[in-house]
Amino acid sequence: MQRRFVVYTFCMASLLQAQNLTKAYGETLALNSVNFSVEKGVTGLLGPNGAGKSTAIKLFLGLLTPTNGSAEVMGEKPYETIEIRSRLGYMPEHDCLPTAVTASEFLTHMAQVSGLPPVFARTRAADILRHVGLDEERYRSIGEYSTGMKQRVKLAQALVHDPVIVLLDEPTAGLDPAGREEMLALVRRTGQDFGISIMLSTHLMGDVESTCDRIIVLEGGSVVESGDVSGFTQETETVFIDVDDHLEELIAALKSKGLQPTMDGVSVAIPDAGDAEYDLIRDALVEAGSRLRRLGPRRHRLTEIFNNDSS
Amino acid sequence: MTAPEGQIFDLGYQNYDGPREGRMRARKALFVNGVRTSFGIGRGTLSKILPILFFTAVLAPAVILALVAATIDQFGVSPSPEIPGPADYYQIVSVILFLFSAIIAPELLCSDRRNGVLSLYLVRPLTSTDYVVGRWLAFFVVSLVFIYAGQIVLHIGLILGAPEPLEYLKGNWLDIPRFLAAGVVIALITTTIPLAVASFTNRRAYASAFVIGLFILSSAVGEILIECPDQHEGPGFQQGPCEPLTRDFAKYAGLSAVGRVPIHVSDMIFDKDNESKLSVEVAKLNDSIPILWYVLLTAVPGIILWQRYRRIAS
Repeated sequence: MQRRFVVYTFCMASLLQAQNLTKAYGETLALNSVNFSVEKGVTGLLGPNGAGKSTAIKLFLGLLTPTNGSAEVMGEKPYETIEIRSRLGYMPEHDCLPTAVTASEFLTHMAQVSGLPPVFARTRAADILRHVGLDEERYRSIGEYSTGMKQRVKLAQALVHDPVIVLLDEPTAGLDPAGREEMLALVRRTGQDFGISIMLSTHLMGDVESTCDRIIVLEGGSVVESGDVSGFTQETETVFIDVDDHLEELIAALKSKGLQPTMDGVSVAIPDAGDAEYDLIRDALVEAGSRLRRLGPRRHRLTEIFNNDSS
Repeated sequence: MTAPEGQIFDLGYQNYDGPREGRMRARKALFVNGVRTSFGIGRGTLSKILPILFFTAVLAPAVILALVAATIDQFGVSPSPEIPGPADYYQIVSVILFLFSAIIAPELLCSDRRNGVLSLYLVRPLTSTDYVVGRWLAFFVVSLVFIYAGQIVLHIGLILGAPEPLEYLKGNWLDIPRFLAAGVVIALITTTIPLAVASFTNRRAYASAFVIGLFILSSAVGEILIECPDQHEGPGFQQGPCEPLTRDFAKYAGLSAVGRVPIHVSDMIFDKDNESKLSVEVAKLNDSIPILWYVLLTAVPGIILWQRYRRIAS
């Protein structure tokens, strides 16, 4: 079995594959004939609450059986082939840690439950705790840990058996801004330095923008967008200008030079700006005597995906 | 002379390329973890206190009986009183064993659900059946350790205390397979009922209280039914003291004490008459009835436990 997984990892690009994947709870369709694949790297599964993200994760973990279609992990259906789960990692959103045992003891146990022999399990537990920054605290009871430290243990238990792919469900939930940044950095490290592929389920676009290579957007049980994150956040031809003063004079100067400035928040936006328009903007700034704070092309943001869909 | 130089290299993350033993290793790990949890190993000091207290309580009667057996002849009591044997030992410690299982066994299931650890087990190469069987087997083995430890001490005491140890062993060798079989009978029920109850709540205290209440109440009901028969004959309630029940009902009423049921079967295995009122009544029944009742009391909670976890997993 192990050999098969290794061969698969090198030969096949898709680690997770949903084919006409449908899951119904009675009358309610949680996933409606969904098709997508997750390849090596970090993939974001984005969508609002009720979009079907959790259902998709449960199907890939083998906790649910599809109503129709298939959910495959490295070519195997996890709800039929239970052994495939030994190469999957899962970090749930909810609490999943015992309070009375040490992180070291817990991780050693979870490594064994994933199929590692006891001696190797102990070594892996120590290594992973070091990698997630809990080397010093590994012999303390988990009950004494802060929320951020518990999140790290949750991530560590998902990685302790060196999975091919790990499914992270809202990994930054409940963290303060500093803790969130640390967790996202750890997720990036897992994907880049550890070489473990990730499917990150979240409703926070910022998490996806800062960690993911690719994105799958679910809404109402269907895939509404998918592709590289860079494709969604690429530069546009709209130029944004922020100035400290003489805003009205600047707008007038821009109009006198044939440009069509509009206000977007506190910024002046110039659509369809090419090299020639940049020169005109420079001249207008000099003419108006405005102190320039920022001038640059605008980037799409992932929030627009939802705005576009709803419009 | 130069000081020895050393360098520390950070090798970074290393992928694991060692052996993977799959589902069988997962099952073993779950079993071992269940045994360790029952004894409080790998946990704080408080977690170890209760198992130690119960183990001491189970062992104490055996040690006392063994000491009495070893020294009784030195007091020159004539005629020599009968020393309680293996069957009596089970009767003496059955209450402690039920208390132990009611208090410790739910910890194996309740904390996993309360803490959410169960969700981590079920995404690993384990099924809900693997999980339940692993936990059940762990506590079953722990119960056997508790049960057999006292019997082994008692047997050693009885053998060494006998004037002719070898002769005693030859004459009583059947006690060994009997105490082994009776131990399994007791451990099966003391493991299954508390775990089945624990599958309905995340709170260990609720499960423990329910199981203890079940044993105490069912025992009390059994005693009352035997002491105070149905006196509703005729219009209104009959006044006056209870009369001993003489009908068949009394024999069956003896089975209502859940905690006594494995002791009835144990007495059958040892082929020994028990003097307690409940046992006397039950002994009047055909042997197959208490055995069938015991099987039902063990199998039904077992099936409930299994089904509960199949439902939780889905």
